[in-house]
Amino acid sequence: MSIIRTEHLSKSFGSLQVLKDINLSVEQGEVIVIIGPSGAGKSTFLRSLNELETITGGKIFIDEQLVEERKHGHVVFTLPPKEKAAYLLEMGMVFQRFNLFPHKTAAENVMLAPINVKNVTKEEARARAEALLTKVGLEDKFDEYPSKLSGGQQQRVAIARALAMEPKIMLFDEPTSALDPELVGDVLKVMQELAEDGMTMLVVSHEMGFAKGVADRVLFMCDGIIAEEGSPDEIFSNPQNPRTKQFLNVIL
Amino acid sequence: MESLTKIWNWMPALLKASGVTLELTVASVLTALVLGIFLALGKISKNKPIKWLSSAYIFFFRGTPLLLQLFFIYYSIPMMVPALTIQSRFVSAWIAFSLNVAAYLAEIIRAAIQSVDKGQLEASKSLGLTYAQSMRLVIIPQAYRRMIPPICNEFVMVLKDTSLVAIIAVTDLTFQARIIASNKASTLVYIPVMIIYLILTGIFTTVFNRLEKKFSVYE
Repeated sequence: MSIIRTEHLSKSFGSLQVLKDINLSVEQGEVIVIIGPSGAGKSTFLRSLNELETITGGKIFIDEQLVEERKHGHVVFTLPPKEKAAYLLEMGMVFQRFNLFPHKTAAENVMLAPINVKNVTKEEARARAEALLTKVGLEDKFDEYPSKLSGGQQQRVAIARALAMEPKIMLFDEPTSALDPELVGDVLKVMQELAEDGMTMLVVSHEMGFAKGVADRVLFMCDGIIAEEGSPDEIFSNPQNPRTKQFLNVIL
Repeated sequence: MESLTKIWNWMPALLKASGVTLELTVASVLTALVLGIFLALGKISKNKPIKWLSSAYIFFFRGTPLLLQLFFIYYSIPMMVPALTIQSRFVSAWIAFSLNVAAYLAEIIRAAIQSVDKGQLEASKSLGLTYAQSMRLVIIPQAYRRMIPPICNEFVMVLKDTSLVAIIAVTDLTFQARIIASNKASTLVYIPVMIIYLILTGIFTTVFNRLEKKFSVYE
């Protein structure tokens, strides 16, 4: 059963069409890495899935339930807001620039949404936050403010914060591109452990090592479409599409 | 020595008038803060009529002289609608100042809210918080600290602007000083009055500096 499925997804910003026709089905437990040149629409695609961007056309299914359908920018179908919110909660997101809440400590960042969205008690949320922060290797940083943490530590808090809502799938939008090189490894390690635990993941990243080692499928996005997809081996060792070849030549 | 005795004798009246100035300032700014938050949220709202109303309000109250607004509320409104006659001059002044200052504070609050990084709202949304929850729990708490210095500035301006109420015969500090100056034919009175104004602004500034520190703990 697919956790997320899109049919003919398109997105335009004014006259600029960023996503043309994206058809993707993400199965439970799958780790998919999306690569591609900048401006290909990778981030926009992730952001369309959890409604940070409004799609222009196409359908989005979550757990095989049609959540939103649009045509030429107009709504054809949309779930009632409360029901939709429940489906959107199945997605957790990690941003390139962390977006931690600077006025909250690490633990408070993780506790905020469970307390206010899921009505979890403070004690329970705190215990869960401590467990998650320990899991991402920050057992000694519970009560630090984000400004006192390194980029890599902040990104790991952000991962814990998303996990606290117990999502079925995690969306990673270039999670390591804003980090100093020596801090990338810690974040990738956490992501790898998450994948090993069976989390379904959709990752926009240029970390080829991670893609080769962890991904089940690699998608190459270019000009608003998925130009090529396959196993990491197929994409990296034997790309078929000339655009894929060209891109890999530049970055490898 | 004689001068000092004179000044000493004026002090009770001056202190009483300082109380009026202080009360009017604090009451107006606090009322304006509440009104200003709603106006600011209205101005950044996606709801067109609400946005338009808030913008029109701000446009009007920033675009006309406070003195005229004071006249309008005290003289014109009771003439047009007798039911809205306000007996107390102080209350008239309080309403005029609150309405006026709210327009300025709304812009301060709006700017502070909009200066919070867009990623904060996106992160809140991706965690399932509603727009109202995101504003209350994430955006506005971060905006507080940025509002403090300009609000302090506004406080100090209002404190001095309250001297306009003399025009509707509210006995504030400046008006009292003028009464004494003309009755006793002594312009000496302006010296203690200026000192009192300085002490009052000094107190505001100190309080706001403390507040700013308190809200900066996480930086």
